[in-house]
Amino acid sequence: MIELRHVFKRYRGGADVLADINFTIEEGEMVFLTGPSGAGKSTLLKLIALIERPTRGRITVNGHDLTKLSRWRIPGFRREIGVVFQDNKLLNDRTLFDNVALPLIVRGIGGHELRHRVQAALDKVGLLARAHSYPLTLSGGEQQRVGIARAITNRPPLLIADEPTGNLDTALSDEVIDLFREFHEHGTTVVIATHEKRHIQRLGKRVIALSRAHSLATA
Amino acid sequence: MRGYFSRHAQVLLATIGDIVRDPVGSALTIAVIGITLALPAGLFAALGNLDRLSEGWHRSAAFSVYLHRQTAAPRQVAAAIGRLPGVQAATYVSPAAGLAAFQRLSGFGAALTTLKRNPLPPVVLVTPRRETPAALKGLVQTLKATPGVALVQSDLRWLERLHAGLILGHRLAILLTVLLGLAVLLILGNIIRVAVMNRATEIEVIQLVGGTDRFIRRPFLYAGALQGALGALLAFLIVNLAIWAIDGPARQLAELYGSGYRLEGLGLHGFWWLLAGGAALGWSGSRLAVARELRRRRLT
Ligand SMILES: Nc1ncnc2c1ncn2[C@@H]1O[C@H](COP(=O)(O)OP(=O)(O)OP(=O)(O)O)[C@@H](O)[C@H]1O
Ligand SMILES: [Mg+2]
Repeated sequence: MIELRHVFKRYRGGADVLADINFTIEEGEMVFLTGPSGAGKSTLLKLIALIERPTRGRITVNGHDLTKLSRWRIPGFRREIGVVFQDNKLLNDRTLFDNVALPLIVRGIGGHELRHRVQAALDKVGLLARAHSYPLTLSGGEQQRVGIARAITNRPPLLIADEPTGNLDTALSDEVIDLFREFHEHGTTVVIATHEKRHIQRLGKRVIALSRAHSLATA
Repeated sequence: MRGYFSRHAQVLLATIGDIVRDPVGSALTIAVIGITLALPAGLFAALGNLDRLSEGWHRSAAFSVYLHRQTAAPRQVAAAIGRLPGVQAATYVSPAAGLAAFQRLSGFGAALTTLKRNPLPPVVLVTPRRETPAALKGLVQTLKATPGVALVQSDLRWLERLHAGLILGHRLAILLTVLLGLAVLLILGNIIRVAVMNRATEIEVIQLVGGTDRFIRRPFLYAGALQGALGALLAFLIVNLAIWAIDGPARQLAELYGSGYRLEGLGLHGFWWLLAGGAALGWSGSRLAVARELRRRRLT
């Protein structure tokens, strides 16, 4: 599903954030990505979602060689993955419903199917009753769950989440991770960046650990 | 296909919603575009009126064709002239009829009856078709070369001047249209560019969830075209209102010259041209602006 070969990433004018990263994530797997702050977890997820391009190396996702994917194929590629962003990236002037509906609207899905899918996604994260509220009237944790609902509304084969439990208390945090496990059990490939050791121990899934020395250790 | 149309309808409605939500800003934009488009549109309307006025003058550009007095069959010559291309009407005036008219109009009636012989030649009064002065000059040459014709009297100087003036006017109007059309393109392009920048977050999120450039571009194109079209509508109103305002005095002036001439505003034809032009300019301006912004904020 995801394969990285000798991947390097250096932002303009900076040092190497990622250096010679190699790993493979199989289809249907659930993997945690860990490492201290600044180790490059978000950067790695951005490379997989083609939000950033690697400086060197090859990345294959869902059968696409990302180094060869032409510009006009990028939207189609992004529709195959659901991304939960560390900073949520919600539109504050739109209701929760409209935020969650966006991935469907850009695909031209409308009417009954749209309503059904958006409601199902909001229901999954326990926010159906707030469908017509605006993001800024929600707590940080609730906003994070809206981001999750938007990522799953498209039913993508690959889910990527960047610190999806950052603002949640223990109980909610567990609930959210269990939600991701549920998707994993239904066949979705799931990659979660987190530094909460608790989840890793609780679920016993594979861990890819990034160290601050820019190298990679796989557990 | 139905989905395609309903999506476009949705975007269009959202665009109208945006305009309604910011009435002052939109009104200002539309006013600027309306005034800018009103200048060339007004010039074209003025030229249209001059053109119609020149038609009246044209009719007075009749030629007098004098035939040789000894021409055997002057009526046949007149008929031949009538069949020439470029001739609308040819009226034969016999020497006798000419003399009678002269007596009547000149007041020398009594003196002229003492003449032993009618001194007037047979004349053909030629009304040319509406042609360029060059073509009329050609017609004069043809008439001069026609057997039986002695002399052709014509005064094309006025017509030549008017014609040259109209050509100059048209050139100026086209130049002005191009320049001000460019201005509208840039004005709307800039307004749409600002709108794109105001929606930077939205565009980024749409790109992140797999929205195509086309999807992002669409509402901006509609907004540009709609504002262009509304500006054109305003320009149409401005021009016709202005013409309506000066029509009264213009009619008085025309009456003083014994003419029933009336000014005409931009008609249905002008309306559609203006509307299509405004919408096309808005669309293209937006397209350029959005393309530039999208290139700048491409994520990867
Ligand atoms: N757009 C950028 N331009 C330049 N440098 C960047 C950019 N994004 C990240 N970095 C740098 O890359 C390094 C890794 O950042 P990244 O966000 O990937 O870390 P992280 O592991 O996700 O950290 P955290 O746990 O705090 O979210 C940091 O040193 C950061 O300063
Ligand atoms: Mg991060």
